[in-house]
Amino acid sequence: MIADKLSSLLRDTTEVQYDARGFHVQYTASADTLPQIADAFLSENFHLEMITCQDRRENDDAFRLIYQFNQYGMPQRHVIHADIAPDATAPSIAATFPAADWYEREIFDMYGVSFDGHPDLKRILMEEDYFGHPLLKDFVDPPNPYRSEDDAS
Amino acid sequence: MNRFEVEQDPKSRDTYYLNMGPQHPSTHGVMRIKLHLDGERIISAEPIIGYGHRAHEKMAENRDYIQFLPNPSRVDYLGGMIYNVGYCQAVERAMDIEVPERAEYIRIVCNELNRISSHLLWLGTFLMDLGAFTPFLYAFDDREKILDILDRITGSRLTYCYARFGGVILDIDDVFLDNVSNFCTYFVERLKEYEKLVIGNVIFRERTIGVGIFAPDLAQKYAITGPCLRAMGHENDVRKDEPYGIYDRFDFDVPTQTEGDCFARTLVRMEEMRQSIRIIEQAVSDMPNGLFLAARVPRRIRPPEGDYYFCVESPRGSFGMYIASDGSDIPFRLKLRTPSFSHISAMPAVMASTMLADAVAILGSIDIVVPEIDR
Repeated sequence: MIADKLSSLLRDTTEVQYDARGFHVQYTASADTLPQIADAFLSENFHLEMITCQDRRENDDAFRLIYQFNQYGMPQRHVIHADIAPDATAPSIAATFPAADWYEREIFDMYGVSFDGHPDLKRILMEEDYFGHPLLKDFVDPPNPYRSEDDAS
Repeated sequence: MNRFEVEQDPKSRDTYYLNMGPQHPSTHGVMRIKLHLDGERIISAEPIIGYGHRAHEKMAENRDYIQFLPNPSRVDYLGGMIYNVGYCQAVERAMDIEVPERAEYIRIVCNELNRISSHLLWLGTFLMDLGAFTPFLYAFDDREKILDILDRITGSRLTYCYARFGGVILDIDDVFLDNVSNFCTYFVERLKEYEKLVIGNVIFRERTIGVGIFAPDLAQKYAITGPCLRAMGHENDVRKDEPYGIYDRFDFDVPTQTEGDCFARTLVRMEEMRQSIRIIEQAVSDMPNGLFLAARVPRRIRPPEGDYYFCVESPRGSFGMYIASDGSDIPFRLKLRTPSFSHISAMPAVMASTMLADAVAILGSIDIVVPEIDR
């Protein structure tokens, strides 16, 4: 059972009401245990549905990484929250789940969060020479040099 | 060196790099695949995406739930209705909004019509990528009929914004139901023609059987969903596994194949169109009377604080919306989990050691929509 394998790795576990929330269990973990957690999910035939991030620097002074694992067949959606300090890095799980490769690149692109051990961490959606991280809450859209004064309103 | 130029390896005289895209016709949008080639054999492929990034997720954080209504259908312009309805259902579940029966049935009919139109466009363009021009004309002719039907009630032909929180914006009438019934009768016969025209064709079979095989472990590694997964022998469909809306009331099958190649994906999609017709026929015959929009919908859309995940079966796979609410009018975070993004990230594994001409067949057969990858 996945719960037994995870019990030593996780800080607190919340059973969530699936009918209201769309997932079954929510965990909080510390970021450095993520590779072991990913291994546990891999051995139980889960797949990595998505990874995403929240910019919670104003609320908790942290970035929250959200990993969502699911099973084929009977849906069993497990969500892992791992908070990391704004200047810290998280370990990459791309070696376990190749799907994580692009999701981690996307988070790096959009939030500037770095992943240790990622095979090729570079921007994915924005161009390579782009300067900022657009999904940060304090991101300011740069003035567009190609826009005329008349369009500015 | 300009941005698109690829650097050749000066040490090697046998291998070279080639850009497929950004404006290659078979990428169906602006996307580039950097191919490392040995003659015509692909050594490695690296998809480069983001040319059509429009920051839908950033837009969501800067406008309230109602203002975001037109966006989901722009994310995937072929399955616009399904995305639009899916977004409404996600918010409805978070807010606990009741949807009238009639609205649920209307949504089912529109969703499945949209699925057929998406599959028809895929069929036409996929075969055109393989060099067959005739099926393209057939498929677009039939697709036009669906667009006309939907145009009549929604007012748009591609990027629908028809669903609202608590129902749909306008009611349907008997003419719409007649049109849909007539189309179903016509299309069942038409599908047989497609099968004769396409499936039996020797060139088509040669180009697709055994090409672009998804290895069995690929599904778990890359979270493959939708027709690509069903072509690998998994009987998974969000409409069956996690029935949303009223899909659990309808009788339909989930077609599967076991080979996992381009041909299997074609067969799965052809059968899916037939199953969609079955759902539409049931929904039209059971269409109840009543309200098409809930009478009491909260004026302020403010889901209670917390995380929500809602997924729907888009024509390409499982499309998920992750909504993190802080209890205000504006989503704190809205993540769109799109199936094409997962599928295209598996391309390096699928394309390695295939032929260059097969890369076109593989890309066509997984049915990518580039705006959905880039969001």
